Formats: sequence, structure tokens, C-alpha cells
Amino acid sequence: MGLALAACSMPQASLWDLHLAPQEQENKTQSLSRGEYNVYSTFQSHEPEFDYLKSLEIEEKINKIRWLPQKNAAQFLLSTNDKTIKLWKISERDKRPEGYNLKEEDGRYRDPSTVTTLRVPVFRPMDLMVEASPRRIFANAHTYHINSISINSDYETYLSADDLRINLWHLEITDRSFNIVDIKPANMEELTEVITAAEFHPNSCNTFVYSSSKGTIRLCDMRASALCDRHSKLFEEPEDPSNRSFFSEIISSISDVKFSHSGRYMMTRDYLSVKIWDLNMENRPVETYQVHEYLRSKLCSLYENDCIFDKFECCWNGSDSVVMTGSYNNFFRMFDRNTKRDITLEASRENNKPRTVLKPRKVCASGKRKKDEISVDSLDFNKKILHTAWHPKENIIAVATTNNLYIFQDKVN
Amino acid sequence: MLGKGLKRKLSDYEENMADLSSAFDSSRNLPYPLKRQLVLNMCLTKLQTYKMLVEPNLHRSVLIANTVRQIQEEMRQESSQQPINVCNGIASHSLSYPGIDSPGISLHLPSGSNQPESNCCSSWSGEGPIENSLLMVSDDDMSSAISSILKDLDFMEDISPPSCLAPAGDEPKLPENACLKPEVRQDLKGAECVFGSFEISNSTSYLKDLAIDDIFEDIDTSMYDSDFCSAPLMASRTPPTATEETLKTFPSCNSSSTTNIQICRPDLSELDHIMEILVGS
Repeated sequence: MGLALAACSMPQASLWDLHLAPQEQENKTQSLSRGEYNVYSTFQSHEPEFDYLKSLEIEEKINKIRWLPQKNAAQFLLSTNDKTIKLWKISERDKRPEGYNLKEEDGRYRDPSTVTTLRVPVFRPMDLMVEASPRRIFANAHTYHINSISINSDYETYLSADDLRINLWHLEITDRSFNIVDIKPANMEELTEVITAAEFHPNSCNTFVYSSSKGTIRLCDMRASALCDRHSKLFEEPEDPSNRSFFSEIISSISDVKFSHSGRYMMTRDYLSVKIWDLNMENRPVETYQVHEYLRSKLCSLYENDCIFDKFECCWNGSDSVVMTGSYNNFFRMFDRNTKRDITLEASRENNKPRTVLKPRKVCASGKRKKDEISVDSLDFNKKILHTAWHPKENIIAVATTNNLYIFQDKVN
Repeated sequence: MLGKGLKRKLSDYEENMADLSSAFDSSRNLPYPLKRQLVLNMCLTKLQTYKMLVEPNLHRSVLIANTVRQIQEEMRQESSQQPINVCNGIASHSLSYPGIDSPGISLHLPSGSNQPESNCCSSWSGEGPIENSLLMVSDDDMSSAISSILKDLDFMEDISPPSCLAPAGDEPKLPENACLKPEVRQDLKGAECVFGSFEISNSTSYLKDLAIDDIFEDIDTSMYDSDFCSAPLMASRTPPTATEETLKTFPSCNSSSTTNIQICRPDLSELDHIMEILVGS
């Protein structure tokens, strides 16, 4: 298989690319199953900054990374912290020219009198060098913290969203952006809703959605008006009155929204569940999957320790048949939409050796705990998997715990 | 307490809150108004904490503010159905949030509180540990807390039209708001008024509530650490002239409010002690 690249940001804000470890003379057909990955490249994407006007520190912590579709040998990605978006070019160099006429190998110029023959420089292989260079810096367009970036299917524009506004950029133009959504009220005291995520439709370059802290998703068409304040569609599920609690609104806040690859469906993640919506039906989702329903009876404690505000992401597999999202205790969950089966797996080094099949986990909500089950009260809420990604074509997934990145793949038989 | 997590030393307050929230989750017998009050307190404490941050998280603040508004609305509807609202009687001595050191708060309800139809009264009549940790806060406090947080979040630089409210006064800190009027809760105002900014001049209790120490922060009182709180009130002694002058600088001491005498007392006895040293008696 070809180059598999995954990017993640660590607390120290460097960007890591992971490359399949090259196989030595061993079984070449089994090159996928080695189970170990080398770091491909590391670079510092953002530096900490200080806003002198507001006396605020802007952290270098990266909020989102998005790959651009590959057009040539180099890879491009967008990365963003709270305020600034950067476009990075990542290129490889594995050859270098040797045999210059006027220069020595170390770069010093030769004395012209010593040049007696002419030769053509040749390219010789060298150790792989990966270079990351910032190509564009898109700054000063967001007053509030950026939570999403999404690249348009026209591959020329992208959007960036903060708590109250969404801006449209052209990848080539850094000094200007268009504001396409603004939900800031004239009087901040009237604020009751913020934007939590936004994404462009994978096929229609004029369509995008954004989700809110009240559990609604709005689909907007940029052809309708310059400022898309009026949505074309509003997706909202009426609340289940039997589940009503003081925390109902907080747990309905959507932390992530992702279109399916086909563009027909979109998936939203709120605190306890994953919902799949058909874009043609606004009044309720077509599928709902409970990620960790056993937490519903613990909401007050989770509110007290702020875990209730954790923002989990979700993702589709390449064929849109399986969806995946993270949970606590380094667990992550997968739901098969066709078979309606689900599985809980754990990303931890202690419990899984490389090249072994992951064992399914089960959480015991109440009552008698069976062997191998884990009770709710022994879950570690500091070990949370917020970020997961699925390779667009292969069955390879990347799962991020607090300090580690795990890559899992389908067993190759 | 959920989860194993990292080991760290919990402060008393945090342990309290963790226990209370565990109690909320596990107990089915906790009466609804008590649960509601617990959630409300947690919300207000969080808002207070966020207010002290340089850059509060807008998303969280909005979610918590909405929860507070929802509880507020519910309480308003309940109270509008009951002619006498007894659940909001507030003790005459100063109250503070659980986050700030408070020895233990007992709630003294006005007499005649035992109305059978009022659920919350029967639950308040006891003084179990949970009741003691909770605090009744008036409507205005909640609203002013929310509005001040949201206004602070309206950071600068925005070219959009400025908000039409916002008087120049700085809102007093929340604990001082909680040290309140011992009367029964004020009449409910309309939603628009509720979210208006809290103006210092509107509060008659502002000066009374302000601790004396705050006025004279820059005076070095390190010598006078109070172990001497037993001295009787200044007024009953024959003060030398110097003390009289010093007394004048404590305006609230001359008021007859019990609250203020309690605040004044340790400070006056310290003064007493100072005077003794100076006079050399």
C-alpha cells in the first residue's frame, strides 16, 4: 500500500506525521501487519503569542488539522490554534545533486584555476528528509476561539468557525476573509447559543452546516445571500421528556459534525450519543447510537468535575458503513450501521500487545458485574479519547489518547 | 467520587462538592428543590470562577448561564403560585459561597414557615449536612452574575454596534452580593430588567456589606493579628481622642445594624489593644 500519513498535535504543539515503518527483507506481503510506526516528521506549527491589546496569551495549542487533497508530490495541511490558521507544505527530499563544477561537496567555491574538466551533476539518493514550510498565514480574523476549519470541495476556499462567527477564506489570499455567519447578538447579555462545529458539504461547494450548543444543526447555502444568517434547513430533534434533567441542555450541545463521504448523511456527536441525519429529513435523526448511556445517571458528578464539557469527535469509515467515536477510560466505540452491532475497544499499551487482536470491552452499568466487565465507578475519567480518525480508503484508524497516538488496522490474513 | 484519575489533595470545598454531586447522582430520595439548589450553587460557583479567569470559555459560560436561567424560571413560576415564599429567607449574618471559607451556614427561616403545601419548606426545616452546605441566593444575584459574565465576555475590538447598557460602575464581587437584605425576596422583575447591569448606587447594602478591611487595605495591620476579640464594644469605654478620630474613619461602626457590629467587633478590639500599647497602660 502507499504512503499513509496521519497528523496529530501533541500538547507541545508539534505536528507529527506517521509513516508506515519500512519492512526489511521479511514477508513483503505482510507489510501492513508489523504494527509499529515510525515518526515521519515533527514540526512546530504555532508558537505561543501575546495579544498586547487585550493582555491575553494565545496558546500554541492546535485545535484542528485538515489535510488538503493531494495535487502533486507535496502534501498540504491546514492547522489552527485559537486565533490563527496556517497552511503548511510538507515535502520530501530523498535525492540530492552531486558533482557540481564550481562548488565542492560542502558548498565552498572551488578555485577556478583548479577546474580542468566539466561534468554533469547527478542525483544520488540520500536519507529521507521531510521539510515542512509555512505557506500561508491567515490571521486576525477571529475575535473568539476557532473551533473548526473545513476545506471546500472546490479546493480553493475553506471556512473557519469560532464561537460566534464563520469566515470564508481563499487559500491564496491571507489578508481578507468573508464573514458568512454571525450569530453575535447586539447585546451580549442576550447570548444563549454558540457555534460548536462547522463543515463544508463534500460535494456541493455552496453548502455547509454548523452545529450549536443547543443541539441544532443549520444547513446554509452560500448562493442564497452573502451573509448566511438564515438557514436553509434546521435539524433538531425534539427532546425526550422522560430524559429531562438539569443538564439536558448541556449534554445536547453538539461537539462534532461530519458529513458522510457520500454527502447524503451527516453525523453529530453530543455528550452521550452519536446521531446520523438524512439531509432530507430535518425533524429527527435516522439513527441514534448510545455511546455511554451509563453516564446518564452520573451527570451531576461529571458536571462538577467539568467532564460534561468534553468535546468528543466522531468519524466515518471510507464506505460510510461504520462510525467511530471516543469515550472515557481510553475506550472507543464503533457502530456498524448495517448490522447494528457495536463494539467497545481500548487503546492502551498495558492491555494490548502489538500484533494482537484487540479484545472487546464491556462496561457494567449496574447490578452484578460479570467477569471482564468494568464497572462505571472504576472508569478513569482522565483518560479520554477525544480525537479519532479513519483512513478514507483502508481499514486503518488512528486513536489519540492524552499522550499517545494509536494506529490500528484490520488483521491481514 | 468517580474515577481514579490523578492523585491530588482536594481542598475541603472540592471534597464537599464532590460528595454533594455524588449524593445527587446516587440518591433517589433527595428532594427535588434540594437537587435544584445544589445544581444552582454549582453553576454560580463555576460562573464565579470563570469570571476570575483572564479569558473565560464562552461556550461553557453560555451553557451554564442557560442552566441558571432555566432554574431561575422554574423557581419563579413556583413562587408565583405560592403567595408567601419562605424558601428564600436569608440569615441575618453574612453568607458566603462554599468556595470561600465559611464555617458553616445555618439558615434561619422566618417564623411561620411551616406551610404544608410547600415542599421545600419541609426539606429545609432540618439542618442536615446537605442543607447546611447550601445557600439561598436571590433572583437578582443570579441575574447580575449572568449578565456580568456575559458582558465581560464581549471582548473588545468588535466593530459591531456596542451594547446599549453597561453603566460605568464595576459590578461588585459575587460574595458581597450574597450578603443581603434580610427581607423576603424582592418582587420579581421582568426579564428585561433582570438582565440589566447591576448598579452600585442602587444597592443600599453596599457600604454595610463592604468589609472594613477592604477600605484600608494599604494600612499595614500585620502587628494586629486578632487574637483579641473578646474586648467589649468601643462605645462602652471612654475612648481617648486618638481613638475617637480613628473611630470616625469607620463609618459603618456607628450604625445600629447588628451585621456591622459583628464585623466591627474584632477590629475595634484590635484598636483597643493598639491604643493600650500606645498609651502605655
